[in-house]
Amino acid sequence: MKSFNTGILAETHICARCGYCQTVCPISHALGWESTGPRGRIAIAQHVAAGQGATTEHARRVYQCTLCGHCREVCPTHIDTCALWLDLRERLAADNQLAAFPLKTISANLAKFQNVTGDPPENRLMWQDNLETPIANLNSHAGAEVVYFVGCVAGLYGQTQSIPQAFAQILAHANVAFTTLGGDEQCCGFPLLGLGQPAAARERARHNLAMVHALGAHTLVAACPSCYHVWRDDYPRLLDAPLNLRVRHASEFLGELIADGRLNLQPLAERVTYHDPCDLGRNSGVYEPPRQVLAAIPGLELIEMADNRANALCCGGGGNMEAVDAELVGAIAARRLTQALDTGASVIATPCQQCKRTLTNAARKARARIKTLDLTEIVWRSLAA
Amino acid sequence: MSQAVHLATPPSLHFPELAKLLGDRYTENNFERAFYRRDLAFVPPILEMVLARTLPQCVARPRDADEVAALVRGARTHQLAITPRAAATTVYWNSVPTRAGIVIDLNALRGIVSVNAENLTATVLPATRWGELDAALRRRGLATRTYPTSAPSATVGGWVSMEGFGIGSLQFGGLAQQLIALDVVLPDGRAHHATRDSDPPLSWFLGSEGTLGIITAIELAIRRAPEKTGKHLVALRDLVAVQNVARALAQSAPTPYNLHFSDAAHLRLLRAAGFAPPTEQAMLLITYEGDANHIAAGAQNVYAIAQKFGGEILPDDLAAREWGERFAALRVKRAGPTVLGSETWLRADRLAEYGADVAHLANRQRVTLATYGTLVTQDEFTVMTVYPSDESRQLAYIFDLSLTKQLYDLAFRRGGRPYGIGFWNAPYRHRAMPAHELAERRARKRQLDPTNGMNPDKIFVASPILSPLIFSLGMNALAWARRVGGAWR
Repeated sequence: MKSFNTGILAETHICARCGYCQTVCPISHALGWESTGPRGRIAIAQHVAAGQGATTEHARRVYQCTLCGHCREVCPTHIDTCALWLDLRERLAADNQLAAFPLKTISANLAKFQNVTGDPPENRLMWQDNLETPIANLNSHAGAEVVYFVGCVAGLYGQTQSIPQAFAQILAHANVAFTTLGGDEQCCGFPLLGLGQPAAARERARHNLAMVHALGAHTLVAACPSCYHVWRDDYPRLLDAPLNLRVRHASEFLGELIADGRLNLQPLAERVTYHDPCDLGRNSGVYEPPRQVLAAIPGLELIEMADNRANALCCGGGGNMEAVDAELVGAIAARRLTQALDTGASVIATPCQQCKRTLTNAARKARARIKTLDLTEIVWRSLAA
Repeated sequence: MSQAVHLATPPSLHFPELAKLLGDRYTENNFERAFYRRDLAFVPPILEMVLARTLPQCVARPRDADEVAALVRGARTHQLAITPRAAATTVYWNSVPTRAGIVIDLNALRGIVSVNAENLTATVLPATRWGELDAALRRRGLATRTYPTSAPSATVGGWVSMEGFGIGSLQFGGLAQQLIALDVVLPDGRAHHATRDSDPPLSWFLGSEGTLGIITAIELAIRRAPEKTGKHLVALRDLVAVQNVARALAQSAPTPYNLHFSDAAHLRLLRAAGFAPPTEQAMLLITYEGDANHIAAGAQNVYAIAQKFGGEILPDDLAAREWGERFAALRVKRAGPTVLGSETWLRADRLAEYGADVAHLANRQRVTLATYGTLVTQDEFTVMTVYPSDESRQLAYIFDLSLTKQLYDLAFRRGGRPYGIGFWNAPYRHRAMPAHELAERRARKRQLDPTNGMNPDKIFVASPILSPLIFSLGMNALAWARRVGGAWR
């Protein structure tokens, strides 16, 4: 898609105020006030870009956004709204507006520990402790062909550590010569971009890329769509240079392994519906590879939700929203859960650890009989069946 | 909803009983109210200040018709002007306050109540978007009969409140022919079920622009989803050829589902905006919807009639692309950043004359005037003529506004009339409808809303500055100044 971005103030004038974005915005749907949707945020952007300053109320509305990209998808004037929201956040960060929100904690964790949780770096490989069969060379092994970039959420949240466990076992099963950056892995920079701190994100990009190159790997795989998106699309921009590295999302890499006949998938009799993560689908344009992986599992029935692919509803988990307003995340996830339940599926498959967290929490709250599994977990179940 | 997102409650509320009705779905918060002062149109603050009080005193977001009725009664008690609003996708301030008061934001009344697949009817809440209604129906093998060109955001209630002509109207008629019943909260707070035979009847509310009540549910006819959609794009020399081909196709069987044209200036403007229109000439996009025989018969008509009038049939992929862009008319704003313009009804046999007048005006005013439109009945187009401007240069923008009046004058000269009145087209209300119809509408307003509390200043009464004479003199002077001051610009 051709980029039309002409700068924040000019884009706010180009906005037609047609409201196509308001219609699809998950925040606007949940909160209702005119100010809560993209049309409201455009008005705030115009206010801020014109140098009229921002109050805490302005800032709250700016951070109440999952950066899901649905507004950009439907904009008839082709405004790159996500770029606009990030620009706006950068301006607010420069104005010290982060301080008024719980974002201050994430910001401090990222500065001190280079991760979102505040864990010490050595905890990044904690997930391997529970593997039934230990996997060799997981920690920064020089000469590995592939680096698996685990990401903060999958590596450090107990609820999602089953994802790196599953993916590492799949890679080992397929005899992929892979490793991770272990304790040397730092936040990919995605949350920093969401905080309006691109300079800090650039530092993370420099560090992570140098670590991968030092190991001599030619491919980087991320199971986290946000890490993948940042590596693939933002690092070259932030570093103003090509990465000289093949970047793949786990779903794409799994597809390659299946095509090469390296995964012997066994029947799995499940009715599954697929949830498109925003950073993989709308923001990276990857819609079919995860579906093709699911379709390759014998016996698995894939049922689409009413809104899918570019029209998929957001789960609420992106854009640092959980730190800003966890209850709002729950309201957004509940809406997506309803669509999943309408399909009659017993499993929500999603190739994203954050979507897994939000949808699992929503199902628990609703006492719904549906479980959310990462794509890697489903593939591992099929292999282990 | 989340505690963390509650808006700060002012220390003391002006209308606590309204707040009590809706709790945290009611606000008098200064920050929040400010977002309800606009629709699509940019109005320079100086004009806004002189003409109206656009900042509402409060905003309420009811969830059902009972809450709407309670709010209307409460507002009446306090003599608050009521402005109903949902997507706010018009440009005439139909849903912008002019006397402060209360904005009733209807967006929570959104969704499909019921669908009867046998009788082919659906009942929906007013803020249901046309796009989402059609998508939901198509998942069940059904479809809306017609929809506006702003279907992704335009609401069913909003389109009822306007005249309701758009995509598909050529084949299925206007919304009036599809409406079965409306639930309306009248200006005195009573709930009314309007049908063709009720008192007042359904027809009173169609095109009433929210001045006679607030629509809370709509029952309308739908259709089975068409088996196929046939799309044809024809490049034509000029608007004379467009007029001839469009009229010939409309008078042939089968009737096209939709006929949309762009003149060459519109395509030039799109090119200037960074897009790649399919031709440098004028073009006509013809769509048929129905079974395979219907589509094939339509295609034959297109080939024969296009050939007769010297048209060039463009490749199918371009036709499909243009059909895919049918909701993206506003992309032309990239040539702006603002676009101004007029939207009018125009007799099908006067399109070419109107086009020649517009070209003359464009030459005189040294501006690109781009025209596009849809044939919505056998005899009439709805026509948009737009031109680029820049709202960030406010003085020049005010001069540019005068061209809109010139365009309405041209359309009027060719038998045209404004599509939609609201606040900004109130000076043209005598042109928009015959005197007897205007008188009839006034009588309805007096009967249902004697205190003029429901969406005041829309259609009927406006600022003295918007009286036809003063407005006309002022705009003509600005247009003259714009023309002679071209070098200054």
